Amino acid sequence: MNKKMLVLLPVLTLLASGLAGCGGDNNNGNAPAETSNASAETKAPSGSPVTLTVEVFDRGIQGQPDLNNNTWTRYINEHFGKPNNAVVKFVPVPRSQEIDKLNVMMAAGEAPDISFTYDSATVSRYAKINGIMLLEDLLEKYGQDLKKYLGDTVLTYGQFSGKQMAIPAKRTSLAWIGSFIRKDWLDKLGLPVPTNRDELYTTLVAFRDQNPGGVDGVIPWGLAATGMNYGTGNLAESYWGEQSDEDFVTSPNWLKPGNKESLKFLNKLYNEKLISPDFALDKTAKQADADVTNGKVGFFSANWDYAFRQNISEPLKANVPDANFVPVDTFKNDEGKYKKMIYNENGINVFIPKSSKNAELAIKYLNWMANPDVLFFLQYGEEGVNHQMVNGIPQMIAQTGDNMQTSPQNLDYTLVVNGVELGDQEKNIKALSASYSGLETTAEQSYKINTTDGYTGFFYDTPNEANIKFGKTLGDMNKQMTDKLIVCKPSEFDGMYDKLVKEYMDAGGKAVMEENMKIYEAMQANKK
Amino acid sequence: MKAVLSSDSRRIKIRRTNRIVQNLKRDYLLYALLMLPMAYILIFRYAPIYGVLMAFQDYNIFQGISGSEWVGLDVFQFIFQQDSFYRALKNTLILNLLDLAAGFPAPIILAVLLNELRFTRFKKLTQTVLYLPHFLSWVIIGGMVYLMFSSGGMANTILSGLGLGKIEFLSDTTNWLIMYVAVGVWQSAGWGTILYLAAMVGINNDLYEAADMDGCSRLRKIRHITLPGIKPTIIILLILQIGRMVSIGFDRPFVMGNSLVSDNSDVISTYVYRIGISSGDFSQATAVGLFQSVVGLLFLVSANYISKKIGEQGIW
Repeated sequence: MNKKMLVLLPVLTLLASGLAGCGGDNNNGNAPAETSNASAETKAPSGSPVTLTVEVFDRGIQGQPDLNNNTWTRYINEHFGKPNNAVVKFVPVPRSQEIDKLNVMMAAGEAPDISFTYDSATVSRYAKINGIMLLEDLLEKYGQDLKKYLGDTVLTYGQFSGKQMAIPAKRTSLAWIGSFIRKDWLDKLGLPVPTNRDELYTTLVAFRDQNPGGVDGVIPWGLAATGMNYGTGNLAESYWGEQSDEDFVTSPNWLKPGNKESLKFLNKLYNEKLISPDFALDKTAKQADADVTNGKVGFFSANWDYAFRQNISEPLKANVPDANFVPVDTFKNDEGKYKKMIYNENGINVFIPKSSKNAELAIKYLNWMANPDVLFFLQYGEEGVNHQMVNGIPQMIAQTGDNMQTSPQNLDYTLVVNGVELGDQEKNIKALSASYSGLETTAEQSYKINTTDGYTGFFYDTPNEANIKFGKTLGDMNKQMTDKLIVCKPSEFDGMYDKLVKEYMDAGGKAVMEENMKIYEAMQANKK
Repeated sequence: MKAVLSSDSRRIKIRRTNRIVQNLKRDYLLYALLMLPMAYILIFRYAPIYGVLMAFQDYNIFQGISGSEWVGLDVFQFIFQQDSFYRALKNTLILNLLDLAAGFPAPIILAVLLNELRFTRFKKLTQTVLYLPHFLSWVIIGGMVYLMFSSGGMANTILSGLGLGKIEFLSDTTNWLIMYVAVGVWQSAGWGTILYLAAMVGINNDLYEAADMDGCSRLRKIRHITLPGIKPTIIILLILQIGRMVSIGFDRPFVMGNSLVSDNSDVISTYVYRIGISSGDFSQATAVGLFQSVVGLLFLVSANYISKKIGEQGIW
């Protein structure tokens, strides 16, 4: 009998723990209900605190602090949490799987009270299926400071079908992409900084043939698989021909006149061994980073500040002390302009899921954050600890551990602003450049170059259903097509371009374009 | 007559229920033990099946299955109009066929070779070394392959050092297919030998001794004793493998693929990931998944049927 009990006991324990596991799920399901009770209690000052959940990007930076317990989160809880009888809890989401994770959390009804994404197609999808809150009244009631801070233009970017569904952050630095060239190599060869495509071509050939850095395996133009940080700058724009506003805005790049030539140029470069040989296999851009920091790369295009970022500039300086990347504007079009894409004034899209029970508190939180003092602390911390004042411009002191900022200007925590916010645009740019210590002037120059002749993406005020359906597939196709066309044999290029573009249009490109046109025309008609 | 019959059948019934009760009483501990795996299968294998309903709905993640609109077969219709779906399906079949052709015989050959080894120490060591790759994640294997076979990698450095020129192992479609299969064999062949080796242990030693007496060569013994001895195992594994023809793991094609070979590396699992998780279209993803299971089931049933028809045993 005893023996039998001995067998039965573990079986029962296991069963019980299995059932407890199921029970755990139920508890999670009930959690929002509990917090809703608690939120009713907020009015009574002595009630137990409400938990406000806020998404935060986990960028996986080496040495990063606990994203839920560091200088910044403690400040937030001290200055916003306490007075509002709330606990602000941060929910980390891996940066590179942002949308995947968000989709799952939204579907499970467990998305944080304050969620966000840079991808406005995702927001418009949530808006369409009615999964996020209307914010008009809430903003009116609890978000006056926020409204004033953002202004009407920025807020329009959060309107879908005329309704305020998201709160876009204000973007203070508009530069997007930039190109960089090794000035020390140019000097060694006695070459000028290239100012157009032909000059760039000659320069790249010289880099290849004369190997001014004396490195093993020189890479004149460093590139990674399309879709990562590295790209081809505004090369395509320099080839695009004249188009009506409507055509330009609604058609995919593949159909723009001249686009084919831009890829042909890249194809020629690749086949003449001027571009990273294995760029298409470099899906994480790690190889390109290594090539740049090992001083093998002469020219590359990426984010406007990429060459000055710590993870590039510091190892490069250690490996090749003379290396000097300068910003360069080299893709000139027929009109003599250096046309390039810049950001709109909006940044990340913040929204409140329908499942949230703390919408009111969420808006209060964002409203509190719009206060200049709060923003200044979150971006610059304490004087003497996190920054120094030089001529009225705060300069960051790089920090590790608790005080570390895991994103430039802490933008993952300051959801109402993207970029430096000192209340004055000129000061903002100065302060922004100051964040690249040792490279301030070059950074300022890069910002200037990469905001000249800029154009912004067109904002559609109505969700594009075809884009919601096909957008992701088309996005993937874009990347594959670009890589294939750069690598293919020159003799196969023309046929391949036409074939791939046809496939792209058939796979939904046409549907997206037609709907773009419909929405565009409706918007123009409304304007009149 | 009738009364007698019915009372008879009642008696039988009673006897039967009695026996069930008796069995339960006698073996209740065994039944209790059985409950655990049963519960596992019910909760994690059967319960989620109701999610299949999403394939017939315009599924709204905020309304759930009960609140979403029913659309009949619209989702399937949409999928069957997509070229990318056919491409994914075609690639899945091609990659699996290649895997079957190269990856299925590999562990058998390896197991036979291992079986012939005389020194137990050496045999054990070889086995361990062969098993190792099985425990590596595909992400790591992908990194290793990239380091060794990219155009600046080890293989190409050696080739060009010998004056043989470079080979585009990973960006040329045909070469990529070969690499994909070869790496798969490298990763799983060793692990796959386990079942065959176990089956070989079961072969009666007398047969080998008798063959020795008759002066059989090694090859003949392999052909006439070892291989027939493990035939049932081979066939069962083959049927299972054919049943998995339409499904494919996610990591291997995803990690090894790149944009230049996307015409061959985009398979059903990566397709489902893209439309389901990344674009949030759960209806489409479920429909593709359902299609995959149904076709897989058909393959499995027909393979089993054929195997029984030609006089071999099936899996049921």
